[in-house]
Amino acid sequence: MVIDTDQTPSDLALQDHIKRAGSLAAMGAALVSAAGCSDEQLGPPTDEEAARFLGQAGLGASTAGIESVMQLGYGPWLDQQFAMPLSESLWRWAQAKGFQVPAYKASDMGMDHALWYRLINSPDVLRQRVALALSEIFVVSVRNMPVPWGQFGCIAYWELLEAECFGNFRTLLERVALSPAMGVYLSMRGSRKEDATGREPDENFAREILQLFTIGLVQLNDNGTPKLNALGQTTDTYSSSDIKGLARVFTGWDFDRFDEATPDYLNRPMVFSAEAHSQKEKTFLGTAIGAGTPGQQAFKQALDTIFQHPNVPPFISRQLIQRLVTSNPSPDYVARVAAVFKDNGQGVRGDMKAVIRAVLMDGETRIGLSPVPLQLMGKLREPVLRFLQWARAVKVSSSDGLWNVGDLSGPDRLGQSPLRSASVFNFFRPGYAPPNTVLAEQGAVAPEFQITDESTVIGYANFMFRVLPFGGANVNVSYSDWLPLARDPAALVDKINLLFTGRSLSEQTLSSLTEAVGTIGVIDDQGAFRRVVSAMLIVLCCPEFLIQR
Amino acid sequence: MLGSAAPWALNLSAMAQAAAATTAADDYKALVCVFLQGGNDHANTLIPVDAGSHARYATARGSLALPLSSLQATALSPTQVLPDGRQMALAPALASLKPLFDGGKLATLLNIGPLLQPTTLAQFNNRSVPLPPKLFSHNDQQSVWQSYHQEGPNPGWGGRLGDLFMSGNTKAAFTCVNLGGNAVYLSGDQAIPYVMDPLGPSPLLAADGQMYGSPECSRLLAKLVTQTTSPYAMAQMHTQVMQRAVDAQVELSAALGKATTLTTAFTPGNRLAAQLKMVARMISARATLGLKRQVFFVTLGGFDLHDNLSIQHPVLLGQVADALKSFMDATTELGVADRVTTFTASDFGRTLSSNGDGSDHGWGSYHFVMGGAVQGGRFYGQLPDAGLLGPQDVSRGCLLPTMAVDQLAASLAGWMGVSATDQRSLIAPQLAAFDGAVLANLFAAPLPSAPPVPV
Repeated sequence: MVIDTDQTPSDLALQDHIKRAGSLAAMGAALVSAAGCSDEQLGPPTDEEAARFLGQAGLGASTAGIESVMQLGYGPWLDQQFAMPLSESLWRWAQAKGFQVPAYKASDMGMDHALWYRLINSPDVLRQRVALALSEIFVVSVRNMPVPWGQFGCIAYWELLEAECFGNFRTLLERVALSPAMGVYLSMRGSRKEDATGREPDENFAREILQLFTIGLVQLNDNGTPKLNALGQTTDTYSSSDIKGLARVFTGWDFDRFDEATPDYLNRPMVFSAEAHSQKEKTFLGTAIGAGTPGQQAFKQALDTIFQHPNVPPFISRQLIQRLVTSNPSPDYVARVAAVFKDNGQGVRGDMKAVIRAVLMDGETRIGLSPVPLQLMGKLREPVLRFLQWARAVKVSSSDGLWNVGDLSGPDRLGQSPLRSASVFNFFRPGYAPPNTVLAEQGAVAPEFQITDESTVIGYANFMFRVLPFGGANVNVSYSDWLPLARDPAALVDKINLLFTGRSLSEQTLSSLTEAVGTIGVIDDQGAFRRVVSAMLIVLCCPEFLIQR
Repeated sequence: MLGSAAPWALNLSAMAQAAAATTAADDYKALVCVFLQGGNDHANTLIPVDAGSHARYATARGSLALPLSSLQATALSPTQVLPDGRQMALAPALASLKPLFDGGKLATLLNIGPLLQPTTLAQFNNRSVPLPPKLFSHNDQQSVWQSYHQEGPNPGWGGRLGDLFMSGNTKAAFTCVNLGGNAVYLSGDQAIPYVMDPLGPSPLLAADGQMYGSPECSRLLAKLVTQTTSPYAMAQMHTQVMQRAVDAQVELSAALGKATTLTTAFTPGNRLAAQLKMVARMISARATLGLKRQVFFVTLGGFDLHDNLSIQHPVLLGQVADALKSFMDATTELGVADRVTTFTASDFGRTLSSNGDGSDHGWGSYHFVMGGAVQGGRFYGQLPDAGLLGPQDVSRGCLLPTMAVDQLAASLAGWMGVSATDQRSLIAPQLAAFDGAVLANLFAAPLPSAPPVPV
């Protein structure tokens, strides 16, 4: 490991870890075989380690959150988060807030309200973070939900992800497949068997469940790298005929008791009708489901086959690492997590809790023991997560209880908003690399840069500039925790640095920021307020915050 | 692989090479790519209307078929008659494009899609010839249309056009302009697309010296967002985007402010029209920015109609026609109608047969080329069979293309002034495999007043 002479406080903390843990070689050996580091190996987290951890495992760091992680340790904190009960039903919340009215039946009104309410307030931050990550893999979007009460379908979909994200992947996959929102979004609902007029089953869901949700386009090694033949070529995972075979499986499913008078039909899993189901043989992925097999059985068999595909562990593990931790994990890191996906240690495949724990506790991220070149490390924080870090730190509240934060996906806002992707390909692809960059030349990726351009970077900065002081639309902010710090610019800046970046700001940035903030007079609360918002805005726009490591 | 490691940010002042400044101010050409995202259903875009062909189409399409009676008003009479008594009509929703076709400003490309070489059905079925990668996958086919490669950081042929023409543009950062959202089309080896919002660029508000009342903080923010000592490449990449954004906004706002206001109407609420309106405004500002050659990229989404096709497809096509018509009128208003060429593209065509209420992923498609320099009013390429099981039917009427993207790219490049050599080496790598006669007459002979553009 190259010791950088120009070190930040957090780099020194990493080295402290290594000193405390023993030799590099011993640590390395332990990591290669272990499914993540133990709390004993890591020792109790410092405040900045805790903040950094919360930026990966939660929706940002808070004073209370940091204290909790420091007190409990990483493992017990995760246990506590895994055990948290589900929060109140968002569906019922949206009904209670008056979104189930005829005026909103054909609009998307209510979804953003419910999701921001949840994301800004809910204490089960790990669950929310993982649900958000899963919503970017198993994409559903209100932007293409042209059914009555579509927004409620999306709310139900979020609750589905909340309910299943700590369960088993196989169950998650089945619930997603039978979700009416997904049935609409990828048009599986109402797909019927072939008929004499030449009509064929809808291929949409069959293709995307393979390409985007489970196995991807090419055969993978356990470490997530593509398998290459002797000529250095990849091997496709499926062909058009696999899609056609699988499309036959996904026939006969539709809404359970559709009645447009209420959204309830979007809160019930899709149901099966044998009459609409293809009776033909279905061959795909090297499996054949015999002609005439009952449809519900065929459905389960198909999902079982997909679930057992060797691609699933690395395909999903690598993306979870990208969503939570870093854009370019080493292949070994991916392999360690994929191994846990394959078998959680008790012979169970697809144990999401074990996989999430493996992602967050791996030495590559907890200690920073990584073969990845420093230059290629890190990830660009998603705009939604930047916003939530701030919103939670300033105790955003809603005076009318409606949480009208709104659709933030426009380029004049965050450029991203939950369940508002333009297509099933999410706001950004896991394999995206901006052309003509050193990252691309090195074969590395930077997914979040797919929504980073001349229009959105200014849009984000301007949006935060506008909302920071007073919020808007009955969504209020409170700087009461921060104002007392304003008289000591260094302390104020340190607190923002700790919470927002895990103390990643350079010495130069810290001193320039402290100095600039100090030029604002603090004769009164107005001055203190201006110091706080100015310091926060600068950090929120600063590359040292934007790039999370 | 990627060429020389050009810095990702182009400092505008470094690009201000005032080449060709003394040539006629009207020596200008622009190419506009209208990308229909999701895979436009070609079979209901251009429809057979001779009785026998329509019957075969209707049998194949089932509930998706447009009735013959609805197609009479948009039946096309091309200058080059189609073989075997075939006749085609525009979709009713494209009716406003018919006068453009009749007036020779709109051409139709038949059965175009990515190919590496002319390919027969037998060759496709046997996989006995090289084929484009990742067929039928949305993101990869968008990338293949734009860059001949599956998803990845590869240069697009629009960006390669930018590479060739940048040095002739004063404010070269505006050579490639993207209003449609992230895409590889306009990334070249040196050219970097300037991404902008259809409403125009906004200034970085907090950097204007005010910022909550602190000039010092405003200055610091302006500095920190455009410079970093962070060792992470991503940090530097972000500052470079921001630097471009800030510099470009200053230049562009001034230039757009000076340009004459267009009177041509663009329908509000039409996302494609909004983008093309800004393209027209950018074109109107070309003299101020010293631009001789530009490539634009705009998009309209929602074409992946696996369901709801009969309702939604006409809505989308209506928006396309409306936007294209307005844009044609705007270029006429600006006096550059014969200097701007617009073409459509999409991930792929779709299946001819229905899945009940939609169609599924295809390959070959129909596309349009529009502009004053275009020899319109006719079809280019081979008209595929009207029904299923024809010689181009890969499956369910999904078409094996008979015209390659390379052929279109080369033809457009040639019109822009790219030499035959550069067409083959930079713009259309597989061009030599294909018949050059197919699109040889897509454009009228060059205007006598336009000097040859050095490349």
